[in-house]
Amino acid sequence: MALTGVEIFKLLPKTNCKKCGFPTCLAFAMKLAQRQASIDLCPDVSEEAKQKLGEASAPPVRPITFGVGDKSIKMGEETVLFRHDKRFVNPCAFALEIKDTLSEKDIRDRIEQVLNSEMERVGQKLRVDAVALMNDSHDTSRFEILAKTIFQNAPDIPVIICSENPSSAETAVKLFADRKPILYGANLENAEAFANIAKTYKTILGVKGNNLDELSSLTEKVKSLGVQDIVIDSGARKAKDILRDNTFIRRAAIKKNFKPLGYPIITFAQREYSLVEALIGTIGIAKYSSIIVFSSIEKWKNLALFTLRQNIYTDPQVPMQVEQKIYKIGEPTTTSPLLITTNFSLTYFIVSGEIENSKVPSYLAVIDSEGLSVLTAWAAGKFTAAKIAQFIKDTEVEKIINHRELIIPGYVAILSGAIEDKLEGWKVIVGPREANGLPAFLRSKL
Amino acid sequence: MLIIGEKLSIIAKRVREALLKKDKVPIQEIAIAQWKAGAGMIDANIGPAEDGGESLMEWMVTTIQEVVPLPICLDTTNYKAIEAGLKVHNNEWGRPLINSTSNDPERFPMLELAAKFNSQIIGLTVGKGGLPADAEERAAIAAEIMARAMEYGVPLEDLYLDPLVLQIATSQDHALKVINAIKMFQELNDPPMKTVVGLSNVSNGCPKYIRPILNSYFLSLLMYEGLTAAIADAQEVAATVKTINVILGKTLYAHSYLEM
Amino acid sequence: MAFTPPTESYTGKVCALTIGLGDKAITFGGENVLPFHAFEGSIPNKPVIAFEIQDIPPDDWPEQVRKPYKDVANDPISWAKYCQDTLKAKAIALRLIGTHPDGENRSPEDAAKTVKDVLSAINIPLIILGSNHAEKDASVLISAAEAAKDKNCVIGKAQEANYKTIVAAAMAHNHKLIAMSELDINLSKQLNILIIQMGLERERIIIDPMCSALGYGLEYTYSVMERIRLAALTQNDTTMQPPMLGDVGMYVWKVKETQASETDIPNWGSVEERGITWEAVTATALLLAGADLLIMRHPKAVVAVEKVIEELV
Repeated sequence: MALTGVEIFKLLPKTNCKKCGFPTCLAFAMKLAQRQASIDLCPDVSEEAKQKLGEASAPPVRPITFGVGDKSIKMGEETVLFRHDKRFVNPCAFALEIKDTLSEKDIRDRIEQVLNSEMERVGQKLRVDAVALMNDSHDTSRFEILAKTIFQNAPDIPVIICSENPSSAETAVKLFADRKPILYGANLENAEAFANIAKTYKTILGVKGNNLDELSSLTEKVKSLGVQDIVIDSGARKAKDILRDNTFIRRAAIKKNFKPLGYPIITFAQREYSLVEALIGTIGIAKYSSIIVFSSIEKWKNLALFTLRQNIYTDPQVPMQVEQKIYKIGEPTTTSPLLITTNFSLTYFIVSGEIENSKVPSYLAVIDSEGLSVLTAWAAGKFTAAKIAQFIKDTEVEKIINHRELIIPGYVAILSGAIEDKLEGWKVIVGPREANGLPAFLRSKL
Repeated sequence: MLIIGEKLSIIAKRVREALLKKDKVPIQEIAIAQWKAGAGMIDANIGPAEDGGESLMEWMVTTIQEVVPLPICLDTTNYKAIEAGLKVHNNEWGRPLINSTSNDPERFPMLELAAKFNSQIIGLTVGKGGLPADAEERAAIAAEIMARAMEYGVPLEDLYLDPLVLQIATSQDHALKVINAIKMFQELNDPPMKTVVGLSNVSNGCPKYIRPILNSYFLSLLMYEGLTAAIADAQEVAATVKTINVILGKTLYAHSYLEM
Repeated sequence: MAFTPPTESYTGKVCALTIGLGDKAITFGGENVLPFHAFEGSIPNKPVIAFEIQDIPPDDWPEQVRKPYKDVANDPISWAKYCQDTLKAKAIALRLIGTHPDGENRSPEDAAKTVKDVLSAINIPLIILGSNHAEKDASVLISAAEAAKDKNCVIGKAQEANYKTIVAAAMAHNHKLIAMSELDINLSKQLNILIIQMGLERERIIIDPMCSALGYGLEYTYSVMERIRLAALTQNDTTMQPPMLGDVGMYVWKVKETQASETDIPNWGSVEERGITWEAVTATALLLAGADLLIMRHPKAVVAVEKVIEELV
């Protein structure tokens, strides 16, 4: 079982030498307990302590980095079954399958799609993370052509090399030897050969069982052959089976500390209809997949799935924040009302929703309060008269409206005088305490 | 366990009006009532107090200490106001307590003040941004605050770790996490670290008649885990504190223990 | 190491709830496990999707979702019939949006007439929704409930501000009730307690924890739903055992992603497929979190979600 911070602290040198980058051994121990640091950072820890810690601190789902460089993907390290308990750690990666039966032009087209898949959403850059090379031809030379085309055109995109044939697999893997690819396809028949290739070329090994029992013995087997980094596939393809197996795998790893299934999950979501495929992807995102392989990546589908992944992997403890700026609601003019609130996203959604309901076009100034709601932000000194006044000045809202009236939430009525003192020529109007009072309030001002 | 009398908060209408008018009477009445009920320190919460915070805190500290022989817990995010309060604080009644520093760099200067004025200080176990997810995260932040305190020359005996009590009405799971954190904090040092909570926040947003019940039972569990101090309404929690002290064998039982 | 499936058993059970009459009546809820966990318990009924229609033409719906109804949406009767007969809807959700005081401000009597007309045109179950104006909904839903007396409809939404009259109407006219609170599990439980204390059996309640669209707070709805379901099953909290509603269409078809044209934002791809996907993904995520009843708008999104439900059960 995991050690507590204090138990780990007792195993450390207690010199507070700071070589690990933390101010004290205690602070370092606490980070270790939370698996936010690695024991390797301590140069002075004894071998014995290291071993004890290694056993105890091995996370229930093995952390693995797939690919190298900027586009590498972290997987594993999950600690919970439900996102409200604690943040899901490493967002699942999306991969596009590219079959070796395609023409060279089609292969290039698909590589292009992956390379051009990046889009930005609430400050994050999101993209299709990887490609999966499919040896559908069962032919080694065709597979090699596919691998070469990808290697030449997208050298830094992480690849999943999918084949059940050791010689095909090895031919392709060779090309990516120093790029930490996933070699997928180890099964009952070929496990030994695949484990050897994985070891030789230092790849992650994708293991496929026909059920969870078979999968468990397969991972044990390849582990005994010296392969540490594994991703697992229970063989489930139907939605119902994916949900069941993924749930069992996550539960077994986290609640039972069952090591044979303590690895990231790869899910194959390919479907004839792209929309249905998106919904299978939805299941994978919500329910524990670490990699999802798709057969197509239309932009509309990417946008929806990127957004869902972002939503599911948001930290439930860090309130979601919206960008600090002046938002237009409806089509406001120079005489439209100006309201201000904090940047806690729920606050923003509810306030902007009620302004919409009022049908009174308005400006909504949203100030960075580190995601706190109005009253909490005020108490924490993040929503104060000085900060509000400064924000109003900085945004130069005076250039887009010709009145000088600012509506503040009723909960911080106390601030009205102080804001007026700091914002010359402005009048502060106290709005309702709750957002649902806004429609009546705004209409009464017309 | 130390009760830090909490009724002098700007959030209360009566206090806010008194502060605006600089009317000593209500402030002193409240302070005396807290003292008589068993408070060992008085919390003076003037809010963010961006404007005139310094004179406001000065006035609060002297107004309270005029009538009550207790130290003050200086409660504001305004650095200058804390400094002004520390300057006029009468240390004859005990050492003041700064409320608070945290793992947010904006709050580090508070440690400087604690060192300079030989004051005690509360370390709120939050960083910049989000709330700690569980007891372990609170303890990790605590360890960083402790390191920071030593850097600034604040002895660990003068640091009170505060796990940040959240409202049960919206963050129910945190009640138990806070109890666990109190236990964990003490293990972070030998002698054990001191701990403090802002008790009534647990019942913030709950119906009025429920609040004293929640506060008292929550305090009982926290005391069982070894809580050092609570910012609380002394009148409300006095019986709980006395009773738990009897149950835990910290005071000798007598039929009239509640009157003592 | 041999693998033993780590199944779990639960102490509670979601209430099963039947709406509508005769052979077109439908039942949802009744499961004693987390969503689609048939491998460790029983799921007697599948989630149900109701098609949303409204009492006035859907001028505020975006083009992409108005299009499928362009020949029928001028009249709620033909719209309802189209959903039932052509789209094979299992249920219809009639939103009386025209009663909103800021809109057409139709009277409760108008609303009652629309309800009567729609009911006489269909034989599948009907969900009757107000305009989400707490005060007006109270009067509108009383008339609507009376007009639909004994048809075993669902009426809603009852909120903290107006639940008393709406609960009374549901009780008097034998309907089921939607109890809505705003993304707050504690307030949701409180509202259910108050409603049950008024005498409405919990087996007649549907919980609406408030929907949010993909990208616009979906994770809040998702987690509140998961927590409600866990309370119902693992803590056997009887007040949290009614089935849950995801009122998906209304929230999805007002966000930018379902409306912005590809010309404006080329990087977002086809607006038609984007909108449908937005609705279907939102709906599927909420099914996984525990929704038993969905209200949706686009026929293609409904088809896709139903296909996935078939695959999940």
